[in-house]
Amino acid sequence: MTRRHLTALAALLVFGFVRLPIELHIEGKARAARFHGVKLDRGVFEKVGQMGFVAALSGFRAVVADAFWIHAYGVWERVDWAAMKIDFDIVTTLQPRCVLFWDNSAWHMWANASIAALEDRKQPRAALRLKAQREYWRLGEDYLLRGIANNPDSAKLHTSLGSLYRDRFQDHAKAAEVYARGAALPDAPVYLHRFAAYELAKCPGREREAYEKLLAFYRKGEDEHLPTLLKHLGELQEKLNVPADQKVNTSPPPAKP
Amino acid sequence: MATPAISIQNLTKLYPIPFKREKVTAVKDLSLTVEPGQVYGLLGPNGSGKSTTMKIVLGLVSPTAGKTEIFGRDSTTVESREDVGFLPENPYFYKFLTGAETMAFFGKLCGLSGARLRERTKELLALVGLENAADRRLGGYSKGMLQRIGLAQAMVQEPRLLVLDEPTAGVDPAGSREIRDLILDFKKRGITVLLCSHLLGQVQEICDRIGILHQGVLVREGRLGDLISIENQTELILENATPELLAEIQAAVGRSNGRVVEQRQPQTTLERYFLEVTGSPERVIGDR
Amino acid sequence: MTAPAATPHKSFSLARVYAIGSNTLLELVRLKVFYFLLLFALLGIGVSFFTSKMTFQEQSQVLKHAALGMMSIFTWLLAVLATAMLLPKDIEERTLYTILAKPVPRLEYLLGKLTGVLALLAIALVVMVAMFTLVLYAQQQSALAAVASQLAPGPDLEAARQQVRADTFTANLVPGIALIYVKAAVCAAVTLLLSTFASSAIFTIIVSVMVFIIGHVQPIAREYLMITEKGASELARFFLGLVALLIPDMRAFTLLDDLAVAIPFELFMQTAGLGVLYVTVYFLVGYLVFAGKEL
Repeated sequence: MTRRHLTALAALLVFGFVRLPIELHIEGKARAARFHGVKLDRGVFEKVGQMGFVAALSGFRAVVADAFWIHAYGVWERVDWAAMKIDFDIVTTLQPRCVLFWDNSAWHMWANASIAALEDRKQPRAALRLKAQREYWRLGEDYLLRGIANNPDSAKLHTSLGSLYRDRFQDHAKAAEVYARGAALPDAPVYLHRFAAYELAKCPGREREAYEKLLAFYRKGEDEHLPTLLKHLGELQEKLNVPADQKVNTSPPPAKP
Repeated sequence: MATPAISIQNLTKLYPIPFKREKVTAVKDLSLTVEPGQVYGLLGPNGSGKSTTMKIVLGLVSPTAGKTEIFGRDSTTVESREDVGFLPENPYFYKFLTGAETMAFFGKLCGLSGARLRERTKELLALVGLENAADRRLGGYSKGMLQRIGLAQAMVQEPRLLVLDEPTAGVDPAGSREIRDLILDFKKRGITVLLCSHLLGQVQEICDRIGILHQGVLVREGRLGDLISIENQTELILENATPELLAEIQAAVGRSNGRVVEQRQPQTTLERYFLEVTGSPERVIGDR
Repeated sequence: MTAPAATPHKSFSLARVYAIGSNTLLELVRLKVFYFLLLFALLGIGVSFFTSKMTFQEQSQVLKHAALGMMSIFTWLLAVLATAMLLPKDIEERTLYTILAKPVPRLEYLLGKLTGVLALLAIALVVMVAMFTLVLYAQQQSALAAVASQLAPGPDLEAARQQVRADTFTANLVPGIALIYVKAAVCAAVTLLLSTFASSAIFTIIVSVMVFIIGHVQPIAREYLMITEKGASELARFFLGLVALLIPDMRAFTLLDDLAVAIPFELFMQTAGLGVLYVTVYFLVGYLVFAGKEL
C-alpha cells in the first residue's frame, strides 16, 4: 500500500465523520415522514427466507412483498386460508404503509374465509362453524386495526373497519366511532359522516345525538335528502316523539321527470 | 541556442519488487539531449530501459530521480504533451471506433474541433493512405493499417516532437518503406523525431543521432556517422570498371601505405530487390 | 522549413472531458448493453400474466413496484458492470497510454469516464421510464373503459375515473425515479474508486456488490457507533464504526419502497444532495489514487 492509498483511506474516514451528522439529519427527516419504519429482524428472515431477506435489505422490500402477494393469490385458488394468512402477515410486515395490503388481507379473512368456514361441510357441528366464522372476522378486524395503527390517515381503512363492525359484528357503537374518526380525515368520502350518524341512530341511548346530526345534514339542502337519511330521520322523529311542528318532511322526494 | 526538443538529465528510475526490499533499476543516471529537427534513434536490447525512458519523457511514468524536459517544459506536466505526438508499439486504440472516429477522438483531445478537425482528419488519412478505410472499424484493420492510423493520430495536433515506438514492427516491406519516407518528410518539415526500433538497418537509414542503452545505462551516444564509421577505411564503388583498371588501382594502393581490405561486388538491398520483384515501386513522399 | 509553433495549453477543458465521456458512452453502447432493456419489456408482460386476477389497484401497484424494482436493479448492475471494466480495459489494452500521451490531465480522463457512464445510466433510465409509462397508460385506459362500462354517466363515474387516474400516476414516482438514478450514480462512483486501485475487474465488481448490500444496513452500523453505554463491545464498535465511516448509506435513497408515502420536497432535495456529495467525494478520492498510479 503506497502513501497515496493511505491518504485516500484517511480521506474516506474523514469524509465518514463529516457525513455522519448529515446522514443522521436526513434519516431523522425520513423517519418523521414515516419512511424506514420497517424493522427487518429475525422474524422476517424466518418468514421470507435468505434470498428474500437479502433482497428486502437491499432496497427491494416492495418487490419481495409483491412476490408474496402474488403467491397469496395462487394459494387462494387452493382455498388454503392458513397459508394465505402467512403470506398476508409477511406482506403487511414488509409493506406496513400500503393500505391496499391491509384492506385486502382483512377482506379475504372477514369476507371470504369466514363464509368458507361457515359453509365448510367437513365440519358437521354448526356451532364450531360459527365459531370459526367469528374467528376469521376477528382476524380481519386485527388486520384493519394494525393497518390503521400504521396508517392513521387512511380513510379507506376506517371505512372498511366501520363496515366490518356494522355488517358482521353488528356493533353499531364501534362502527359509529370508527366512521366518525374516518370522516375527520382529509381524504374521507363525504358519506362517512352520514354513515357515522346512521350507526349512532342504532345505538340505544344515543338517538338524540344521532337525530341532531342527521337534522344538520337535512338542513344542508335537497342534495342531502337521500332515502337512507330520510328513513333514519323519520324513525328517530318517532322514537324521540319530536313535536309535529318541529318534524321535518321525511317523505321521499318525487321522482324527477 | 535553441531549446532542446528533449532534455534528459541524470534520469534514474527504480521499480520496487513486491515483498522485497531491493528494487529493479530500469534506468540509471541517463543524460541525453535531442536537438530540434533531429531524428534520434534510441536503441537497446529488450529490457534495456528504452520503454521506461520513453514513458518518462511522455509523462506516463514519474522518474525516481533526475529531470526530463520537452522544449523546456517539464515532461511530468500535462502541457508539455501539447507538443508531442506518440505512436505506440502495437498501436493501442479503441477497436470499436472507425478510422475517422479515432482521428476525431484524438483530435478533440488535442483541442481541435469543427471544420478544422474535419480538414485535419481528411488530410492525415490521405497522407497515410487510409482514406478508403476511414469508415471501417479498427478491429478490422491490418497491422500495417494500424501503424498508419497510429502515425496519423500522432500527427493530429501538428506536434513539434514525434515519439515513435517500433513504427515499422510487423509491417511489410512496402508499408515499412512508406513509413520511413514519412519520417524523412517529418524531418524535412523540422519536426523532431525520437525513434525506438530494433530494425537497425532502418535506423541507420534515417537517424541523425543514436543512443544505445544497455541494462539501463547509456553506453554509446552520438552522431550515427561518427559512431559507425570505420575511421581508417574508405569505400569506393566503381561502375563498368575493367579488370585492367582494377589492377591499376590495386597496384597504386600497394605502392602507398594503404591496403585493399576487400574487393567485392556490391549488392542491392534485399528490400529494394523485394520491392522490384513485387512491383511496389519505391515512392518518395513528394511524388504523391 | 520551420517546425510547427508551440501550442498553448488549457489546464481544464470541458471539450476534452466531453470527448472522453462521449467515447465511453459509444463504447458501452457498441457493447450492446442496451439489449437488457428487452428483459425489462418482458417483465411487463410477465407481471401482467401473474396479476391478471387482481383488482386494478393491485395490478397497478404490483406493476409499479416490479418496474421500479427492475429499474433499480438494472441501473445498479449497469453502473457496476460498465464502470468496473473501464479502467482495467484501457490499462490492459494500453489505450490509456495513447490517451494520456496527449495533453489530457488524468482528472479529465477519469471525469470523462464517469460522465460517460452517468450518461449511459440516464439514457437507460429514460427508456425504461418511457416503456413503464406506456404500460401504465395502457393499464389506466383499460381500467377507465371497465369503469365506464360498469357505471352510468354522472358524478359517481367521474369520481371513479379520477380514482383510477390517481391510483395510476402518483406524484411520488418522479422524485422516486430521480433517486434511483442518484443511487446508481453513487454505485458508479464507488466502483470507479475501487477500480483505481483494484488489480482486476472481478475484484472491483465483487467489492462493489458488497458495498451496495452492506450500504443498506449502514444505518444500523451508524446507530451502533453512537452507542455510548458500557457493555457495547469495543471490538464490535470498532468494526461497525469502520462500516459506518467507509460505506455509503444506500438506504437513504431507497424511499420508493414505501410507494404510497409522499416524498416531501425538502427530503428529496437533501437526499439528492447527499448523493451528489458521495459522487463528488468518491470521485475525488479515486482521482487521488489514480493520479499517482504507475502505468
